[in-house]
Amino acid sequence: MPSFTLLAQSVLSGIFVGGLYGLLGLGLSLSWGLLRLINLAHFALAFLGAYLTYTLSTAFELDPFWCLALVPPAFFGIGVLSQLVFVRFRVTQFGSLLVTFGLTVMIESLIQWIWTADYRRLETVYGTASWRVGPLFVPVAELLALLTAAALAGLTWAWLRYTWVGKGLRACAEDPHIAAAFGVNHRRLALVLSGLSAAFAGVAGAFVALIYTLAPAQIYAWIGVVFAAVILGGLGNPLGPLVAGVVIGVSEALTMALTAPAWAPLVSFTLLILVLLLRPGRV
Amino acid sequence: MLEVEGLQVAYGDATALWDVSLHVGEGELVSVVGPNGSGKTTLINTIAGLLQARAGRLRFRGGDLTRVAPHQVASRGIAIVPEGRRLFTGMTVEENLELGCYTPGLRAGRAARLERVYGTFPVLRARRRQAAGTLSGGEQQMVALGRALMAGPRLLLLDEPSLGLAPAVVEHVFDVVEALHREGVAVLLVEQNVRKALAVASRAYVLAEGRVVSSGTPALLLAEPQIRSVYLGDPGG
Amino acid sequence: MRRLAAPAAFLAVGLGLLVPAAATLPAFYESFLYLVLHWVALATSWSILSGFSGYFSFGHGAFFGAGMYATAMLATGGLPFLPTLPLAGLAAAAFGVAMGAVVFRVPRLRGELFALLTLAVTFVLATVVLNTRIDGGPGVYLSAVPLPRLGGSATGTLYVLGLAVALLTVATAYAVYHARWGAGLFAIHDDEDVAEVLGVPTYRYKLLALGLSSGLAGVAGGIHAMFVTYVTVAETFSIVVPLYVILMSVVGGARHWLGPALGAVLVTVLMYGVTGGQTAVAGRAVVGLTLMLVILFLPEGITGFMVRRRSNRPGAPAPRPVSPRPAVAQRRPSDTGGPPLLVCSDVRKAFRGIQALRGVSLEVREGEILGLVGPNGSGKSTLINVVSGHHRADGGRVLVGGMDVTGRDAHEIARLGVARTYQIPRPFAHLTLRENVAVAGMFGRLGHRRRTAEREAGRWLEFAGLADRADQLPAALNLHQRKFLELARALASEPRLVMLDEVLSGLTPSEMTDATRLVRDIRDRGATVVFVEHIMRAVMELADRVVVLDVGELVTSGAPQDVMRNPDVVRRYLGTAHA
Repeated sequence: MPSFTLLAQSVLSGIFVGGLYGLLGLGLSLSWGLLRLINLAHFALAFLGAYLTYTLSTAFELDPFWCLALVPPAFFGIGVLSQLVFVRFRVTQFGSLLVTFGLTVMIESLIQWIWTADYRRLETVYGTASWRVGPLFVPVAELLALLTAAALAGLTWAWLRYTWVGKGLRACAEDPHIAAAFGVNHRRLALVLSGLSAAFAGVAGAFVALIYTLAPAQIYAWIGVVFAAVILGGLGNPLGPLVAGVVIGVSEALTMALTAPAWAPLVSFTLLILVLLLRPGRV
Repeated sequence: MLEVEGLQVAYGDATALWDVSLHVGEGELVSVVGPNGSGKTTLINTIAGLLQARAGRLRFRGGDLTRVAPHQVASRGIAIVPEGRRLFTGMTVEENLELGCYTPGLRAGRAARLERVYGTFPVLRARRRQAAGTLSGGEQQMVALGRALMAGPRLLLLDEPSLGLAPAVVEHVFDVVEALHREGVAVLLVEQNVRKALAVASRAYVLAEGRVVSSGTPALLLAEPQIRSVYLGDPGG
Repeated sequence: MRRLAAPAAFLAVGLGLLVPAAATLPAFYESFLYLVLHWVALATSWSILSGFSGYFSFGHGAFFGAGMYATAMLATGGLPFLPTLPLAGLAAAAFGVAMGAVVFRVPRLRGELFALLTLAVTFVLATVVLNTRIDGGPGVYLSAVPLPRLGGSATGTLYVLGLAVALLTVATAYAVYHARWGAGLFAIHDDEDVAEVLGVPTYRYKLLALGLSSGLAGVAGGIHAMFVTYVTVAETFSIVVPLYVILMSVVGGARHWLGPALGAVLVTVLMYGVTGGQTAVAGRAVVGLTLMLVILFLPEGITGFMVRRRSNRPGAPAPRPVSPRPAVAQRRPSDTGGPPLLVCSDVRKAFRGIQALRGVSLEVREGEILGLVGPNGSGKSTLINVVSGHHRADGGRVLVGGMDVTGRDAHEIARLGVARTYQIPRPFAHLTLRENVAVAGMFGRLGHRRRTAEREAGRWLEFAGLADRADQLPAALNLHQRKFLELARALASEPRLVMLDEVLSGLTPSEMTDATRLVRDIRDRGATVVFVEHIMRAVMELADRVVVLDVGELVTSGAPQDVMRNPDVVRRYLGTAHA
């Protein structure tokens, strides 16, 4: 039986990992729940953001947090463009899964072409710094990721809840025709949401670059677990992926501490399978 | 105020309306009756911009409606209470009402109109934070009517407001509609309860199999065998 | 002739492809050709479930991997290599069937949810393999396993094995494609509910397809274990297998038996051939781009595109249906007072607390035409759905020809001779008219062989006035023709009871006259007819007897004239001035 300190540290790191799951899942959940598009390329976009952050920080010696002011706005444009393509070709929910699968492979190849398949590690002060709280270590970068995830999820929630645009988007998700009859311009709102979702991928990417060693194939490592968080959290609910992500992160961390690290994926995927089998109508 | 001329509407190649013409005068309450599948809902939805006409013209207050984008019909002063209510069931009662005045020009009057709707349907004030999908059928119909009222319409399109409701609730809904009508709002009413629909209207049209087969004053229509024929297969004749 | 042509072609292609093995090519070419065949087998086996029945799986890597590890385990455990291959197939098939037995029981688990679920299953299997003695972490080496010589060299042997499994898979796909249950799978692809109501045992067929698909993938995996000689979890269960398999099938056309093979050849050549192997990055980018462009511009793949072009060639202008000519000897019913064919007693059904049927009891007599009428939401369609087995009644009993069918699966009820049409026609969109109708003949009461059913289908299309469009797709039809197709499909099983849901609505008056005549003809052939209709003129004209439903209850029944004069019925239809 591992010591109490070890377990507590595990729970803490689970919470932090969960924050990153939530950050990656936020945009995915929004476009799936509110636009009925499953954007698999969200992960590839996040990694593109991570590599851009890496290059801007190393080659141009920009503070990684300045990258947050550059990458997400540029990604907003990518999101708007992709939405225009989806609308132009009337891509269905299932078609979107396949198209963005193709896009994922293209972005992965692009990354491999520019940055090669070698591992890349962004060395910054944030990456290694950590605070000591009692017997526990709190890594600064991961704490910032968690806080950012919480802030973005909270802001998006409030935006959907209290603004005209947000209410219009939610109404469109339920009944686009009636929403239009009351004046909601679905096409324009969808562009905004798609842009926002891509921008969130950029934010997530910056933190991936700060915390993890980058390799193109890593794109696929996140897909399963983040999908699990998105589906468990409820599609279109901005707080859902974060909450579900933390639950999954902590369960994984405890599984790792109590058994072997390699057993961890079993937790999230078993949860995902159970949700799909027991509540398919909810998705 | 509303003029429909030679309207033809189809779903794919299934034609639902053939050459339908009718008009609603300023402040008039007009009913459309006819059996299921005769095209009543199609008519209402086309006027509200939910469906595109294949042929014919829609004019409203002198302007052409036929080519107006669906989300701009509301700003012309038309609001719909659709068949089956079609509330945003996951959103709260108040959010549903607010969406009625989503159009930028109407947003300023939100608070005042909300007060009016709550005054008319006090039960909705008590349930304002509740998800609309959790309400009873009658309350949902009130939300649907309230949502349309929030748009401050000059023409109200009502599709089967009594469907599935208890008689007392139906009375209440009709009282509200008649009160609106007295204030000068024009109403186009589609209703399965023929006698009720004819009792409140000043004029009515009978639709059958996608065509207007008869029109005139309620008294005239009730006397005609046409109505009995389309509903009951004319057992009298 | 066609029957013999296909096996002959397979034999020729197979022998032709053996030449490289005999000609002792450089190992590089043999490896390349092996890889082409490997992907042909994987993509084609995937399409037997996913392409044919529309259950898109992202989990083909799991079955492939199950086979790979089965061979790796058994061969390193001392078993000779060749006998491990059928065992690898069995292991993968067992895994697939076990998964399907659970998953296919869950309604609505289709499309993207099924895809995600199969992906998750892959990851779970990968984790289990990685952490148990099956792999244990470092991977399994097969370099010590002796490889029997079938071709000139080791790569030659693998090439011959790859050829064998590729041919076996494509031949299987060909056989399924042309078999009765292939037709069932295609029906499931387009509309599973309708397929079940026509008599297709959907659950069993899906399970069978999954078993075959995963078994073949398992054999391909077993061979591949020997090809790579070093089996690791990361490589085996990576996303690459499902990605490429889907890409190849979608490019080639997943609904055609040859489509995935075509796609596999194209994509593999593109990846290794054109890009020369060393620029693998560019190869992958091309693969990704191809997938995107194909979905956007050619969503049905190359073969789908070609099939569609062929069937959409401009034909004759839409003809009016000829007056229906009786093609079967007429069996005039003695009178309409025959024994009860359908008995509903106290049938109840609620949806989310709303009572759609509140204890309906009625009898339909052999050989009569019964009109089922009532205002909106009165429960007419629900009653049809319960009788046909689409919905399960909450209470009460349904008897067809004296047999209790309450709670039976829809396909069993269909086999007793119950057929229906849908108010909004639901043809199988990707099947020709002839195939649409033949599904009913194959799976309904008659259980015809496929060829008999297709021949008979021609007659029923003639009956419905659609004979000259038999080889077109339903999209080419207008509403009126689609309604007649519904009728032809319902009749092709020569049912004892036909339930027609608003066949007349949306038709022009002259089309309506055709339709009413057709309904009479149906009865004159000995079938019993229940029809739901709002156009009262037609009800009065057609029905021997009318049953009125309102708010889920039976109001009254009797002769049409009497029923429609009943003051209660009049009130329910016209309402009251004071609600």
